[in-house]
Formats: sequence, structure tokens, C-alpha cells
Amino acid sequence: MKDPSQLISGDSLQVHKTQSTAEQTMERLIFSLSELEHLGQTLISGHSNFNHSSKTYLRITLGTLQVTRGAILRHHQTRQNLEVVASSPDQVFAPITVEPNEIEELLQHPFIESANLPESLEPFFARTAKFIETIDIRLWVPLKIHDELLGMIGLGSFLGREALETWEMELLTTLAHQISIAIAYSQMVEGVQSEKFRLFMLAESAPQICQLLQPEAAAEQVVHQAVSLLDANAGALMLTHAERQELEMHYTFPETLVESSTPDADPNGLVLPYGEAAPTSLETTSVDMLKSVVTEGLPGHCPPKSDTLFGGKNLMAVPIPGRDGDILGILVVGDKEERGGSIAPFTDEDVILLDSFAKQAGVAIENAHLHQEALEARQLQAEMEEARKIQENLIPETLPDIPGYEIAGHYEPRGPVGGDYYDCIPLSTGHWGLAIADVSGKGMQAALLMATLRAGLISELSRGNGAAAEDSGTPNDRSVSTLYAELIKMALTLNSLLYASGTAEKYATFFYSHLNPETDVLTTLNAGHNPPLLIKKDGTYKWLGEEIGGIPLGMFPNDMVSNIAEYEAEHVQLTSGDVVIYYTDGVTETENVDDEYYEEDRLVEDSKACKDSDAEGILKYLHDAVVGFQGEADQFDDLTLLILRKQ
Amino acid sequence: MLDKLDIQIREAKEHAVIETTGYLNDALGEQLAEKAQALIQDGCTQLVINLEKTTLINSIGISILIEIIEALTEREGTLNFCGLSATQERTFRMMAIAKYAGIFPDEESAIANL
Repeated sequence: MKDPSQLISGDSLQVHKTQSTAEQTMERLIFSLSELEHLGQTLISGHSNFNHSSKTYLRITLGTLQVTRGAILRHHQTRQNLEVVASSPDQVFAPITVEPNEIEELLQHPFIESANLPESLEPFFARTAKFIETIDIRLWVPLKIHDELLGMIGLGSFLGREALETWEMELLTTLAHQISIAIAYSQMVEGVQSEKFRLFMLAESAPQICQLLQPEAAAEQVVHQAVSLLDANAGALMLTHAERQELEMHYTFPETLVESSTPDADPNGLVLPYGEAAPTSLETTSVDMLKSVVTEGLPGHCPPKSDTLFGGKNLMAVPIPGRDGDILGILVVGDKEERGGSIAPFTDEDVILLDSFAKQAGVAIENAHLHQEALEARQLQAEMEEARKIQENLIPETLPDIPGYEIAGHYEPRGPVGGDYYDCIPLSTGHWGLAIADVSGKGMQAALLMATLRAGLISELSRGNGAAAEDSGTPNDRSVSTLYAELIKMALTLNSLLYASGTAEKYATFFYSHLNPETDVLTTLNAGHNPPLLIKKDGTYKWLGEEIGGIPLGMFPNDMVSNIAEYEAEHVQLTSGDVVIYYTDGVTETENVDDEYYEEDRLVEDSKACKDSDAEGILKYLHDAVVGFQGEADQFDDLTLLILRKQ
Repeated sequence: MLDKLDIQIREAKEHAVIETTGYLNDALGEQLAEKAQALIQDGCTQLVINLEKTTLINSIGISILIEIIEALTEREGTLNFCGLSATQERTFRMMAIAKYAGIFPDEESAIANL
């Protein structure tokens, strides 16, 4: 079919003039019917994007009506403007602002002649003056369905006539209806596509985020998915610390979302206390809104002018519920995008969508945190197992035979790894070193500190410190003084070693005894440990090291030790039937169900009761006595006993 | 990577590859549409869009991709995608993008199948 709009110049125009009006009209009507079919085909072709097919609609309209210039404009409700989507001649124009009252007025007119503009629309057409001049628009046709303005057609330069004829106006009305339907269809398809995408993403994102086992990765994905779902350009996840009533920023997109006061400051970690009293200011800021979402447990909105946190964004936030109904945090999205760069307000449907997603996010975040806790517990368990192995190697499996003596020991840790230690070490002089210690804390650190103490002790003793042989029982003898000095020197060395190994919170109480089995002299040094109990055969008793100084090892540096309590040594002469009971505070501080402590008095009484037994018998008696006293109560500390009995 | 927005074009004799970096939203999408339309206007009808560095797409980004497909279909051209995440691939199939455009794991196979 020949396009009559092509007959616009030169010879063709001359031919046109010579044809009869009836023939021309008939030819144009047939062409119009053909083009209307073409227009319908364009509509159902599956091309959902109106902007893309708008040039075809304009070409058909101009060709059908024999108009040489014109344009189609599309109305964007949220942007409050008309976008020129097709024009002849083809040019790029800036969008034209249209006010709500102007829309009302435009909807009242099926046609608007440029030469006869309604007074109320003069401001609108004044804004379009440049566009009208360029295209030479003479006639406007508002495109509408019911009361919704969808766009406008502008026509200019009617070929060979000043105005359209009546039948042409009727044809234009039909074309305008068709184009209106095309715009509405395009909007509907865009909406369906968008909703389809959102619903799919909502369904898709749930299993995806719930599979993430790292809390950081889960936080990142939650924010990204929320931003994508809501067509937003920013998002943030803040988690609550219920005890401190604080909200802490965990992830932001983009990274620079929070404007920091210092360039190097990490926005993650930003803390907002939400337990404060309501602000006195009438202006509700985005920070107030976020606090309100946590305290009220309801979604919140904040317009750009009130956003003081993210640089002036249009915000929406929802609470993230946990399994127990508590609020884990809040999910924030900012600036909902529209095609063309404009920002649209969040709708009620958006709130429902983000709220649904936040419920899934809550499960994902809890899962990730539970997994992290399980991992840490497993790591701790493995660490405890390693520590237990270390400690097992530190406590002697069997104790040596000391001529003229019986010795027995028992160690019962509170958990898999305790902090007590005892040992009986043969010295090069044929003497013996007996040690008992209680390391602060539990677990790997305690085991390592204990290993350090034992290694230091063995090292010192093998170097001869604390191993000197005394040949007389009188403390004034030179050899005894030498041993005293060596023990003090050893204690200082061990103190220095432990101090360098850890913090002030990591220390060890320590009691060391040097036993000369030939003279039966027991020389002792106490570094803050429970004084061992010496029970004489006649039932009298004495606390060893009770009155001499010495603070636990590793608590202070050596130069401070001398100012606080210098290490001192003393000695005692053992005789047949004497029993020395070494113990840790887990014995005397054992608690029963009545909240009573076992204490030193019971230790003395029970020790007197069993003093005539052999070392193993005494050990068993005292252990049973302590455990019996404890009854059904929990054991709070390691329980260690070391018995030395002079035959 | 999402914070950075970038578009790289690699033109060959018979085809062109557009590689996007960052969040495919309105901002990056409009840039992509502009570059793709320019290539199509210049007669390029064999196009590959590499989304390997674009891990996040919103519905506007999807609508822009559909527009590019429509523009190419009109000129009987071919569009192949590559570098999609598993979620993106499922999204493209669900949104019927995969009906009108090919999806390939890497740029090499996407070009080979134009």
C-alpha cells in the first residue's frame, strides 16, 4: 500500500492536487485501515516497551493523517512530567513538567488547538514553548484511559490544509485510543514483569540466604537482596544488642552509605542507643525512625529531608524478628528507583514485601549465628581436648619411691581441663623436689601456663638451683642458707618466666618442698599457695609456709615482688609418722548443698582421723571425706591432694 | 565490586561484547542501554553481554535487558549472556529472557554461539 504521507513535495504534490478529492479520501481511508491493522499488530507483537514502539505509532499516525511533523509524549505520574518518546523530526527533548491541576485540565479536552489554548493551561504550554516551536505543534490530543493521563500526541504542519477534516479528527480519536491502549498495556506489562521479578526474587532469596553460614556473608546477602527486591539504590542491616539497648551497623550498601566524620572510619560498627528518652525536637530524624522501628517493632518511613544518617535518602525500615519473637535488628532500604533516574516513594506493597523478606532474613541471620557458635564451641572443644592432653602429660602417672617415705597423689579436674599441678622430681643430689600449683583460669591458656611453669621448674632444678644439699638440720648453717637462696632465686626465675608468658590475670600459686630423705629436713617456699598441713604423729599440726612471704608467680614483675612480699624459705624437721598434706583450694573451698565450705578445720580433723594410715590410705580417706562433704552439690574447682608420709 | 559502576565494550568484526561491573539498576542500566543501542544503530547485531562482575540486578535492570533484546530481535540479531550466577540464570529463565537470548557460562562460548 502506498503511503499517502510520502506525497509531500514537488511533483508528487502536483499529482496530489490533480486527483479528485473523493479518490484521495478513499485512498487515504484504505491506507488508514491498513495502518490501523499495522498498529494493532504492533500492539500485540509482544513488544512490551512502549518507548521502543512509539516511533512506529508516530509514523502510522502522521502517515494516516498526512501530517509532516509531530510527537508522542508519555506521562510519568511519579516524575510529574511528560517525556518525548518519539518526534518527527527526530530530536531529543528534555522532559516537560506537568502540574496536577494541569493534568486535570488536560483531561477535560479531547483536542487542544495551539491557536486556542485554554487560559488555565497557558503556564503548561509556556513551559513547552521551545518544543512546540521546534515541532511546530498545532494540535494536541491528550492520551487517556478513564481519568488517567497517559500521554499526549502533538501534531503540526497538516499537509496541504490548515486543519484536519471532521473524518480525520474521528480517525485521530481512534488512533489516540489505540496509542493509549498501547501505553496502558506497556505499563501493565512493566508492572507484571516487575512484580514477577520481585516475587521470584523473594522466593529465590529465602533458601539462598539461609544457606549462608557466615554471619558477615549472611548480612551482606540480606542487604543486597533487599536492595534488589525493592529497586532501591541503598540498604543497611543493623543488629540489636538487647542488653545494652543499642543498634549496631553490620553492613551497608554502598560501603560509603554512612557519611563518616573521619575518612578512615568504618561505618560498620556505628552504634545507635535506642533506649534513650524520646527526642525533644519536633523534627523526627532518620535516627529517631530507626530507634522507633526497634522499640515499636513496626515498619517505619523517613523522607529525604529527615534523613540525617545516610545523606538524605528516602528510607524505609522494617524490624527483623527472631524465632522467639525478639527483634534481632532492622533492615533499611533507601531511594526506590524508577526508570529514568527518578526516586519514587515506597508503597504499602513495598512495606509488605520488605517485611516478608525480613522474616526470612531473621531466620538466615539466626542460622548463621548459631552455626558460628557451634563452630566456636567445636573449636573450643578441640582446644580443650588438646589442653587436656597437655595437662595429662604434666601430672605424673605414678609417683616415685622415696626411701623412708610414702607418697600418694590425686588430681580431679573440674572440667576436661583444670588448672592444678603436682609433681615429685628426683634431684641430682639424691634429694627430691615436691611441687604443687594452682594456675588461674581453665582451658588451653591454663594448660600452657602450667606447662611453662613445669618446664621452668625442671630447667631450674636441672641447673642445680634449688637442688643444693644441706648437711645439717639447723637453719643457721651455711648450706641451709645456700638452699634458701637457691629456692628464692628459683622462685624469682619462675615468676619472671610466668610474668613474661601472660597477663596479670594469668598467674599460679606455687608451693615447693625440697626433701632431703637422709636428714628428713623439708625446706619449703611458698608463692601464694594454700599452706600444706603437717600432722605430727602425736596429732599436733602445723601449717607450712603460713608465716613466710611470697605472692603468686607471674602476677608482678620481679622488681615489684621485692616491694610487695619477697619470697622466703623455711624448713621443718620430719620425724617418723609425720604426714604432710599438700592440697589446692578446691579441697578447702569445696561447698556442700547448704552452701558451707569444707575449710581448713575439717581438713585438720579428717587428717588427724587418718594420720596413722599409709599415704594411699590417707589420700583415699581425705578424698572421700571431701567428696562426702560435697554431697549432691556441684564441684566448682579442681581437687588436688598430695600426701607425703615419713615412715 | 558492587560499589563500582563500569561498562567495557570489546568490538570485533562480527560482534561486540559489553561487560558490566556493579549493580545493574537504573544508573548502570541506562548506560548499558545507551551503549547497546549505539552498537545496534551502527549495525552490530551480534551482541554478548558479560554479567560476571554484576552480581546484583533489580527489576529496572531486567526491563532494560528486555528492551535490548527487543531492539535486537527487530533487526534479527542475536544476544547471548555469559557470566551469570545461578540465581541470575534462574531469574532470566523465569522472566523469559532465556527464550529470546542465549545463556552461556563464559564469554568464549557466548561468542562462539552467536
